Amino acid sequence: MTRNTFGSLSASLERLKSWEGLLLAILVVVVANNAIQSPVYLSVENQVNLFQLFIERIIVALAMTFIIINGEIDLSVASVMGLASCLLAFLHEQGTPMPAAIAVTLIVGVIVGVFNGFWISVVGLPSLAVTLAGLIGYRGVARILIEDRSIGNFPEWFNRLGQQPLLGPFPLASLIFLALLIIAVVILQYSAFGRYVYVIGNNREVARYSGVRVRRVKMILFVASSVVATLAGLLLAARLGAVRGSTAEGFELDIITMVLLGGVSIFGGSGTLVGVGLSILLVLNLRNGMSLVNITSNTQTGVIGVLLILSVLIPNWGQDAQSLWNRRRRVGPAQTTGEGVGHGS
Amino acid sequence: MTDSKKPVLEIRNIAKRFDTTQALDDVSLDMFPGEIHALLGENGAGKSTLIKIMTGVHQPDQGEIALDGRPIRIGNAVEAQAHGIAAIYQEPMIFPDLSVAENIFISHRDQGVVLRWGKMFRDAEAILAQLGVHLDVRQPARGLTLAAQQAVEIAKAISLKVRVLIMDEPTASLSVHEVTQLFKLAATLREQGVAILFISHRMEEVFEIADRITVLRDGKKISSTPRAGATAEGAIRDMVGRKVEDFFAKSQVRRGDLLLSARGLGKEGVFSDVSFDVYRGEVLGFAGLVGSRRTDVGLALFGVERADAGEITLDGRPVKLHSPDHALQVGIAYATEDRRALGLTMPMSITANISLPMLREYLSRLGLIKRAVEETAAESFRERLAIRAPSVRVEVARLSGGNQQKVMLSKWLNARPHLLILDEPTRGIDVSAKAEVHHMINDLAARGLGIILISSDLPEILAMSDRILVMREGRQMGIFTRAEATQEIILSAAMGQNSGARGSQ
Repeated sequence: MTRNTFGSLSASLERLKSWEGLLLAILVVVVANNAIQSPVYLSVENQVNLFQLFIERIIVALAMTFIIINGEIDLSVASVMGLASCLLAFLHEQGTPMPAAIAVTLIVGVIVGVFNGFWISVVGLPSLAVTLAGLIGYRGVARILIEDRSIGNFPEWFNRLGQQPLLGPFPLASLIFLALLIIAVVILQYSAFGRYVYVIGNNREVARYSGVRVRRVKMILFVASSVVATLAGLLLAARLGAVRGSTAEGFELDIITMVLLGGVSIFGGSGTLVGVGLSILLVLNLRNGMSLVNITSNTQTGVIGVLLILSVLIPNWGQDAQSLWNRRRRVGPAQTTGEGVGHGS
Repeated sequence: MTDSKKPVLEIRNIAKRFDTTQALDDVSLDMFPGEIHALLGENGAGKSTLIKIMTGVHQPDQGEIALDGRPIRIGNAVEAQAHGIAAIYQEPMIFPDLSVAENIFISHRDQGVVLRWGKMFRDAEAILAQLGVHLDVRQPARGLTLAAQQAVEIAKAISLKVRVLIMDEPTASLSVHEVTQLFKLAATLREQGVAILFISHRMEEVFEIADRITVLRDGKKISSTPRAGATAEGAIRDMVGRKVEDFFAKSQVRRGDLLLSARGLGKEGVFSDVSFDVYRGEVLGFAGLVGSRRTDVGLALFGVERADAGEITLDGRPVKLHSPDHALQVGIAYATEDRRALGLTMPMSITANISLPMLREYLSRLGLIKRAVEETAAESFRERLAIRAPSVRVEVARLSGGNQQKVMLSKWLNARPHLLILDEPTRGIDVSAKAEVHHMINDLAARGLGIILISSDLPEILAMSDRILVMREGRQMGIFTRAEATQEIILSAAMGQNSGARGSQ
């Protein structure tokens, strides 16, 4: 059972009836259609491959879910991914041993997160502006490091980690995703920190007046977002085998789309990882299905755009329909009593 | 010009039902020009529904409304306006960046395309003069006092040729002085033949101003009495349907040890040189008019707004209160006056709201929330404070104001504070919920809590407090014991008149 805002089972049910239910229904139709189109579609290999193409973005979407529920946004994630890949490649090119290069990159990821978090949580600037600056700035640093080159020739073990299955059919990145997914669900739905994320997203003043350390929560979220994006950047470098200054460019939009499509409110305060999970599955299967019937990538993007608009519209329609339905039910008994009173007076 | 024989507006046998609640049941009401008609009733008695029907928000299931004897249809707010029916509320609806004159004429769409500023300013001035209000019509509405904002709203209604003015708890957020101003306005309108429907929870105001008093209870009209024949006791009896004996009964509690002591507390440009002691088992009242900065002192004690001067000792140890988190740790809790914006997370459950400040206590060893324990705690408060809700999992937004208030108090009681600061704990809640809150305050004091009660309700503060600290514009005017304090003394201190501004420590 999903829990939307804590303990409000009925609200979750309503949402499930509306958006998350619809996502599930579309997903089933899409998967069924794809399975009919191609016999190998449902094979484990194909599904893992499906995931692999988007795996870094999916990982970052987990952190983004927290940020958006908290009522903030992190536009800098794709540039942080790019910066991580480029920094790694740069250090490797300079002769730094890979383990040391990875460690340095992760540390830089923490520093970037603290930098974002400082402006947002301590100074109190809007995250939209701060991370937009980050989007531009970190990408700039990445391009300075790599210039116009494409740097590859990472050690073989590194590329293997990115490209080959590690455990059963699963490559390292998908294992990391699974682990992070479990951790994210536990933190968001069952821990005090997760509760604070929702409360602050709903109303940060109420949180502050209740003794919640709002700044600390926001700082942790932005550091986590940067670290996860850095990790995703490293995985991306390993999978691609070569890195450019433009690596991961524009990924932030895919990531935010997946989160919003999952029913997370852009205004903060509500949303679930179940919804985001469904939306990830839907985006992957829909794109793949459309490719199977030769729909171009551009059209695919357009379809995803339409879905995103619907994700905002439909829960509202759902509420309207719900209240209309309630009113209908209300009118029934009210009329009978009304008549009774009428005759009486 | 007042012909009090013919009603301007007749409400005839109105009935309205929501789900299982019969909000209004065969209610009739006549409103005469030049009459102030008070409408009394607990929350949920049907007052709001009646107002919403009169202003076109809801349609009645049954019955009709007649203007000058002819039945009319009020489909929406614009139609209500066209019929000369207007309403002002507790929180004025003002555009802060527009000028006073623009606010007054915001609903006028009949003046052509080009705005004639000069004419608008002159007309606005004329209307305000007619009301006897002095405001610069060119000044933006931002920064006006609540009372001035309400005057602007009334001027807006006048500009629309209002014949029936509904005043829905207009005094709830006003200081005593501002209430006087508002009542003068109401009297002016009465002279000009406007029919006024006046809703208030404050009995003494109703008896001061109303010509006729109608009481609703459970959607039915219980009584409608000319003021001459009405008594406060009778009205309250009609409202609650039972005898009222123990409102404002402060039980004597033996004063315990010194709990908190503040010396020379100040905050640049806000308040200065505030010194007081609070003992365990004591209720210290904070009285003062709006703008007296009482709330700011409360916020300083809770660490929301740091004081920049003075010392605070708690249980004999000096403390620096720099955040709510820290204040909670040393045992100070603050229940805000603004429960919607600062007090409760509306879309979350009763449980999540009550446990929030103390969430750390509900964690398992792995750091996960123990839902069952959390819900048990919430459940115990639901029973203890008689919170009317089907379950503690219900969203707070779905509760009535009084029940939301109880959830907020539960939230702070659950934090088991030594010092509880209650800021307007009974504002906007009905009579019986109010009595329950007063009982609770007594009960908490008896258990040895120190309580600071900030309230604009003078009878409440006089009845509930052991001592009363009076503030005026950020300065402490004196502390009065229960024996010394009278309404006159407190009020004159709060208004800065010398006669009462002595008091004893």
